[in-house]
Order: sequence, then structure tokens, then C-alpha cells
Amino acid sequence: MVTEEKKKELLAKLRNAVIQYDEDTSKEASQEALDVGMDANDAIFNGLVSGMVEVGKMFEAQEYFVPELLMCADALYAGLDILKPHVTQLDLGVKGSVVIGTVEGDVHDIGKNIVKMMFDVAGFTVYDLGRDVPLDKFVAEQLRTDSDLVCLSAMMTTTMTGMKKVIDDLRAKNPHVKIMIGGAPVSQDVADKYGADGYAKDATNALKDAINMIESLKKMKDEVEAKKAK
Amino acid sequence: MKTSLRRELLDHGATVVGIAGLHGYLSGEIAHLDRAVTIGVDRRLNEDTLSLLVKLEKLAVRFLKARGHRTLAIPPDSDRKKGTCISKLYSLFNHKMAATSAGLGWIGKNGLLISTDYGPRISLATVLTDARLRPDAPMEHSLCGSCTLCVEHCPSKAITGAQWSRSTPFVELVRLGECRSHKTSKRLTAGKPNCGLCINICPYGRKEQAQSTNI
Repeated sequence: MVTEEKKKELLAKLRNAVIQYDEDTSKEASQEALDVGMDANDAIFNGLVSGMVEVGKMFEAQEYFVPELLMCADALYAGLDILKPHVTQLDLGVKGSVVIGTVEGDVHDIGKNIVKMMFDVAGFTVYDLGRDVPLDKFVAEQLRTDSDLVCLSAMMTTTMTGMKKVIDDLRAKNPHVKIMIGGAPVSQDVADKYGADGYAKDATNALKDAINMIESLKKMKDEVEAKKAK
Repeated sequence: MKTSLRRELLDHGATVVGIAGLHGYLSGEIAHLDRAVTIGVDRRLNEDTLSLLVKLEKLAVRFLKARGHRTLAIPPDSDRKKGTCISKLYSLFNHKMAATSAGLGWIGKNGLLISTDYGPRISLATVLTDARLRPDAPMEHSLCGSCTLCVEHCPSKAITGAQWSRSTPFVELVRLGECRSHKTSKRLTAGKPNCGLCINICPYGRKEQAQSTNI
């Protein structure tokens, strides 16, 4: 069994690797965590993700800019690739599969990718359609995968209008699906008007929302474990 | 700091190292990283060149980070892994622009970076940083002169023969469509897209290369 001290050291190392956008250290620490028999969930949530939460704060405080944010995301992914196969899936009572993509005509996908990463981390099955996705494809993919959440992203006012069509089509085919939209021109008003369930203001807020979601997932996870302990 | 970084990189195998001041040249996302450490390695067209460049790039990143500066490493054009988040930003940046700004050479008629000592045989990687390194003097004009060897030898007649200068960076030097279509047909017939005649024929730095291949 791994000692508390070693565990703390490795969690700090994972966290700092993400904050310092150091891919090599992220990989190294993730492998080390597995080698000493640490729980992969613990390493991801209390190591890598805790680092990314800090990065989110630094981004908001304008200590970090877009390049740093992206490099931190890459460092997180580098560690995640190693740890993910060893994650024991927890039954959270949510099915957790999501269809995500940037709508037709739009090739801006940095924000979408960051949100996607957060779903990845949270253990969702992510069906990433990429960018410039034909509108019908969202509906088809939702039906094919029976996902409960569809995330739409648009960066331009001209492509944003496509989201309305996707939402209408999704509602017609499946009234129960949850829809979240985001991107620079989107606002809460637009989300209400288009009939979306959720709205992420911009990349920073999408990140924050995704982090909030993970934090609430973590809480749920803790509760599940607490119940088990009883 | 600049001298010790340069020495460190040269000691580990860099052929040339230059510092470019790029204030006002970069797009918004990376505008705060307005110094470029340009690392050039004499290209002998083997895999070692690439791994050496990647190694040197990491070295420069570690050096600058350890001193508390931000960095963004732009990998060599032939080593751009797709699918990473940061790779979206690579297209905002041009190695040759940084190299001429750092005074390592000019853009030849063949559209490649030409250095007086090594000709068009330098492979480039760049590390952007916000460290206040003193920039080297940029190269302002082409030193190709009246030489037209690459223009004459280009099999697809893609080289226009126009001269580059810093003040006219958008003059068309190479008709890229024609260069590319030649490479495509080469790939179909010879299995390899290699052409590179405009590199081989360039008189700058040829003696240097002849010597190194003779060893």
C-alpha cells in the first residue's frame, strides 16, 4: 500500500505538471502513480484536475493566456491517457454520454475542445463530431448513441442560427435530451430563445461550468463512497 | 542570460541561434510572447536533425521556465503533431519570419531561409518567450543578387525570380501550386515526394556541406 506521504507528493507532482504545462512530468508522475498502486481516480481528480482548476483561476486572473491554457490542457491529456485505462467506473446514476461539436460553417473549436476535455476527465463517453459539423449529424449521432446530453458550439453570429435548427430537430425526435450551447455570440437570452437547457458564456465560463460539473460529480462520488462505507 | 542560453544551445548541437524581437508581428493570442529564440540545425536530411531540434527546443524551454518566463515552443514544421490542443496555434506562426528577424538569413528566390554560411540547409525550431532578451539585428534584404540557378533548375518552373525584402514580405516568390503538383507527380512515379533541387543548387553554403559529407 502506498504511504500517505508518497501519495501527497505524487498528487502535488501531477497538479504542478498541469499548472507548469509540463507534458513529460505529467506522463512520468501518472506512470509513477500507477506503479506505486495509487487509485487512478484519485490521481486524476485530486492531481490532474485539481491542477486544471487552478489553471482556470489563473486564466481568469489573466495570469495565463490562451497558449498556456492549451498547453496545460495537453499536459492534462498526456497524464489522462496513461491513467484512464485504470479508472474504475463509478455508478453515478447518470449515464454520462455526450455528443459535442461545432456547428456547420464554423471551424473554431478551441472552446469546444476544452469543454470536451472536461467531459473526458469526468468519465463521460464523449462522441466528438469535431468542427464544421452538418446540422443533421447532431440529431443522427444523438439517436445512434442515445446520449443524454448534446453540446453545441458556435463562434460566429452567422453560424449560431444553425443551433436553433438542431435544437428544434432534437426536441422533435427526442423530447428528453438535454442541450447545452456555448460560444462567443451566445447569451442566456439566445439559449432561452432557442430552447436550450444550459448555456456556457465563453471559453472561460465553459471551463468553469465544466469544472463545477466535475466538482459536483466529485461530491456525488464521495457520497456514493460514504454510503458504501456505511 | 542571452549569452548563456545561446552558448547552452550551441554546446548541445545547434548550428545557429538567433533572437528575434517580434513586437507587432504576432497575432493576438501569442502577442505577449514577443521574443523568439530561433534554433537552426544544419540539415543532413536524416532523422537525427528532427530529434536534435526537439531536444534543443526542450532545453530552451527548461532554461527560460527555470528563470520564471513564459514560453511557447513551436515545433519544426515536419514534426507538427495534430490533435493536441496547442497545435491549433502553430499556424499563427512562421519560423522563417522569426529567423530573418533574428538575422540568421534572408528568404531566397526559392522561398527558403538562406544563411550565408549554410545556405538553404538549415532546419528550424522556435521558442517564443516573454523574457526580455535583446533582439539581434534583423536581415532586411535578400543577398541572392543576380543568381538565378534555382529559377533555372526548378523542374516545374515554379520560382518567379522575385527578390524578397523585409518591406515587401508578400511578393510571390514561388508558385506553390506548381511546386506542389510537381511533388505529387513525383510521388506517383518515384514513390517519394522529394524534389529539393532548389536546395541542392544553391551556391550559398555548399562548400560547407561538401566538407561535412566527405568526412
